[in-house]
Amino acid sequence: MKITELAGRKRKMTGITNILQRVGFSPSGFILLVVLAVLPFIPPFSSEFILRWLIFGAFLAAQAVAFDLTAGYINVVNFGFAAILGLGAYTSAILANTSPYLIVQTGLTPWIGMFIGAIVAGFVGFILGFLTLRLRGLYAAIMAWFVGIAILGLARNLIKLTRGSLGLSPPSLLETSSNRPYFYIILTMMVAIYIICKIVTRSHYGLAFRALGQNIDAARASGINPTKYRVFNFTLSCFCAGLLGGFYAHYFVSLTPQAVMHTSKTVEVLAIAFIGGRGFLWGGILTAFPFVFFIEYLRSALPGLPGLHLVIYGVLMVLVMIYYPKGLAGFVVWAREKIKIYKEEKNGGF
Amino acid sequence: MIFEAENVVKNFGGLKAVDNISFSVEEGEIFGLIGPNGAGKTTFLNCVAGALKPNEGTVILFGEDVTGLKPEVMCKKGVSRTFQISRPFPRLTVEENVEVGAIFGAPKDHKITAKNRVDEALDFVKFPLSRETPAEHLNAVQLKRLDLARALASSPKLLLLDELAAGLTTGELEEIMDLIKKIRDRGITIIIVEHIMKVIRGVCERIVVIDYGEKIAEGKPDEVMNNPKVIEAYLGEKRISF
Repeated sequence: MKITELAGRKRKMTGITNILQRVGFSPSGFILLVVLAVLPFIPPFSSEFILRWLIFGAFLAAQAVAFDLTAGYINVVNFGFAAILGLGAYTSAILANTSPYLIVQTGLTPWIGMFIGAIVAGFVGFILGFLTLRLRGLYAAIMAWFVGIAILGLARNLIKLTRGSLGLSPPSLLETSSNRPYFYIILTMMVAIYIICKIVTRSHYGLAFRALGQNIDAARASGINPTKYRVFNFTLSCFCAGLLGGFYAHYFVSLTPQAVMHTSKTVEVLAIAFIGGRGFLWGGILTAFPFVFFIEYLRSALPGLPGLHLVIYGVLMVLVMIYYPKGLAGFVVWAREKIKIYKEEKNGGF
Repeated sequence: MIFEAENVVKNFGGLKAVDNISFSVEEGEIFGLIGPNGAGKTTFLNCVAGALKPNEGTVILFGEDVTGLKPEVMCKKGVSRTFQISRPFPRLTVEENVEVGAIFGAPKDHKITAKNRVDEALDFVKFPLSRETPAEHLNAVQLKRLDLARALASSPKLLLLDELAAGLTTGELEEIMDLIKKIRDRGITIIIVEHIMKVIRGVCERIVVIDYGEKIAEGKPDEVMNNPKVIEAYLGEKRISF
């Protein structure tokens, strides 16, 4: 009786892990997510001050996932990423505007505006996919960068639409001064983006992305249509960026071209994605949270050095790229493998 | 006639890499393409596989004009190739490498799953290592087998082999020649570009010799190799030694 009961429970357990696995969570990854979800109720994380860090961590983590979809799979570093995120932010903010000084005064609710922003960003991603199609590696990255600079230029100069460098003050998403609801919104976005990207990369699309990223000639000779897969990849990645931009606009309620679209913002995401490990998606999530805490701590401890976090990003990224290109996620996978082998040996010894 | 090339020309700037090459291949034939280094063999193969667009001339496959089609389209039409320098996907496993050909290159068939094709292709080339091995850990010979398995997994009708035997030992040469014949016995027509005469003589029914982009001889391997023009192209005065 007892044995069958136990077996039944075990079967049930494996059923749950199977479902989790299908959407891209290992059991330990899921536990970490649950911990993250209850963190806002545990002091000191429950303070509004630290909640902002958590929100920023989830915001960066979600960006790193979307960024890694392009950089880690088809091997094109989208240097225009921040600008496209900004495009989503601006679209939503402009649509929400009610001020009579600007041309567009639709006053649309941010909940819809965010998705329109994502669609606009996705559309630009679609075009970007075509633009960079014939270019490889570095050249594609430079092209994406130029497109980003062009978008930044537009945001700065279309003053009737964006107030230029003065920036916009879009309405907030929720009528609350508490940060906790925002944390759950961005956490949901992060998980949704992760699951969508994971499902895509688990499918034939993922294989096509990686094949195209590693050897485009052999991929084409094996029947992979580069247009279809690269354009799809860019569209999805930029759509996610646009959605996150919408969150940024209506959470921080302040939007300037410099603060969201600048290349240094892309570099921040790039550093987190690369340190996390290219081609894993979850590496960036694992890196983003400790990083935000570390950087914010540094910022408060050394207020005289404002650009220090970028220097640290740079140094760490160079070290990872040269000495450990698999990044943190690669290390975790390696360690897990080692533990498994060790356990098997131990069991075999009995 | 499964394959015909008519007056194919490919220029790189002022250089005529392929100059007016015509020949045709029968179904089930193993056809050789030889010539000294830089003669334009690989360039010609690229023109056939779609990697390059010929400047002039036509490429006909099963009576259909396929000149200048893209490589991914050519693959779907039944043309697979291996590369002179084996270029698999380094960070994919052996299995995934072959899967790429099976999933994206092979025609849709409900009876045969991609996994069947992968199994079959890897068994066929007698791949020696675990399928979970990342391709970047393979040596040159293993990479060639992998590249061949990838090409076979897309179930081609015409297979283009670019110097498959280069760098192999004598024992491995015998094995690869056997493999090439076995592929043909499955009904796949083969065009091979090769430097090693032993392989050409061992497997090819007919060959074409290219020198400076031009076709200088065509026929059975033994006849062609005694052709004075061919000997001159290779060695100047002497006979070809094997």
